Amino acid sequence: MSTLRNLQDAVGDIGRDSFRSSLDWGVSWWHVVHAGALVMVLALSPSTYTRSVRAASARHVYLGTAPMLPWFALLSALASVVIIRIVVVTALSYGLSQYALEMVIRVLVLELIPLTAALFVALRATVPAGGELSALHASGALHAQEKAGADPLRHELLPRVVAGMFAVQLLAAVSCVIAMVLAYFAVYGFSVGGLSGFTRVLGQIFNPGVSMIFALKTLFFGLAVALIPVAAFLRGPQSAVAPGARASRELDSLVRLFTAILVIEVVSLVGNYY
Amino acid sequence: MSDEPTPARSASHLEFKATLLLILLLVLVGGAALYLSYARGAFESTQRLVLIADDSEGVGVGMDMTFAGFPVGRVRHIELGPDGNARILVDVALKDAHWLRQSSVFAIQRGVVGNTSIRAFTGILTDPPLPDGAERTVLRGDATAEVPHLMAEARQLLQNLNAMTTSDSALSATLANVQSFTDKLKGPGGAMGALVGSDADAKKLITALDRTNTLLARLDGLAAKADTQVFGNDGLVRDARTTVTQLNAMLLDARASLKQVDAVLAEAKAVGANVNAATTDLGALRTDVETSLRNVDGLIIELNRKWPFKRDTELKLP
Repeated sequence: MSTLRNLQDAVGDIGRDSFRSSLDWGVSWWHVVHAGALVMVLALSPSTYTRSVRAASARHVYLGTAPMLPWFALLSALASVVIIRIVVVTALSYGLSQYALEMVIRVLVLELIPLTAALFVALRATVPAGGELSALHASGALHAQEKAGADPLRHELLPRVVAGMFAVQLLAAVSCVIAMVLAYFAVYGFSVGGLSGFTRVLGQIFNPGVSMIFALKTLFFGLAVALIPVAAFLRGPQSAVAPGARASRELDSLVRLFTAILVIEVVSLVGNYY
Repeated sequence: MSDEPTPARSASHLEFKATLLLILLLVLVGGAALYLSYARGAFESTQRLVLIADDSEGVGVGMDMTFAGFPVGRVRHIELGPDGNARILVDVALKDAHWLRQSSVFAIQRGVVGNTSIRAFTGILTDPPLPDGAERTVLRGDATAEVPHLMAEARQLLQNLNAMTTSDSALSATLANVQSFTDKLKGPGGAMGALVGSDADAKKLITALDRTNTLLARLDGLAAKADTQVFGNDGLVRDARTTVTQLNAMLLDARASLKQVDAVLAEAKAVGANVNAATTDLGALRTDVETSLRNVDGLIIELNRKWPFKRDTELKLP
């Protein structure tokens, strides 16, 4: 009898656990949406940008972007050179060299570079920023700020989110330009004679639909990367009680971030190619 | 922060650098937008060309129209016309529009691998230029469209070949007949046996030929005899010649007789003329006699009047 009761208890625990975890999942997504809405409202209100908020935003924007911009540009240029070379040589060997440039632009500029930029910014900037924010929250510094009359949402959350979004856009833009320049040189060599053909191919690829999807995708990548890690901060101080729980919370937000990026990428692919 | 600047200075530096980054992003995004607009032909003046095709498969908006391999136009819109044909609206850059003339030909070409392409061909570059909004029917040069047709024809051909080469086909029957024909050629009857069908018939034919030869020999003798009969000393030809000589003499006699008859006829004609003159004299005589009779009649009437025994000839009614 006791064995049976133990089994029943175990099954009940599993049911309760799964219910609790799915509830947690829903609540955490709700926090993301809530944080997004808050940040959007704050970011679009001119009254937000007081001198101190501007200074904090500038600091986060610069410190969140500038240190990794050269490295990312270099790494993405190297990866681009390799991929462009592979695609061009393969296309040449199949006698399809006229499609090499289009394939390079579609693969690199439209798909890989925004994705890589988002992941790079997430790992280098926004996930640490979320952890930092949680630590501030846990240490009570935010409460102290609040008591001193400052708004921690304006001074701590908004600058980090804006910096994350900005970093994704800038890294993606710089790397896309570098990749396009490298693709031009790889296909046409060091001459300006192919510029009209290159321009024409770009014009064919970037039709209004593809351009819009590309812009929206990069924007949503930025939003996801900037919001999801810092949204954990809104889940209350109990999340940061135990160090183990905090680590799992960060992992959780990372998983959620990857899921969001994957969904955005899949939706953009469906929009582009179906 | 090794040189430990004042917080205000550091903040303004950071703000300036952040502004620079922001400007960089704006320049990149704005430049890309401008460049892509230029690449899509937003800033070039164009003229419209409408290509009418029965099938616009493979043609997409943004596709190039090439002339001699150079892109001169861009597909702007594709619509289905009221007559069920596809109308492909192409924007031709004005700077390249002079390549297109009224006699230009347009074709949609689709390769086995790769994109469909629209090509323009201009044979006479001195023709009047193509007007804005011109409508042209487009030709289709489709490599893959021919493949099913070709396959169908090849299948038909193979079926025909199969039908020709089956064991019960006409061709194999003919070949079998040729085989038996050559067998007969090689047989004892040879070509003759092959021609007439059987050896017995061939023998009959040879017999018939032998008899014909005999007949010909007899005919030869007959001809020699006939020659003697006809052309010999007492032959028909000599008799005929004598007869002809006699006929000539008879004809001469007949001619003399006819001359005499002619003279007789001339005399008869003279007699006739005399008779005619006599008839004329008879007319005058008759007139004289008639006149004499009329005088005698008058004389008698006169005598009757003067005569005393005149009779009363008048009738009186009682």
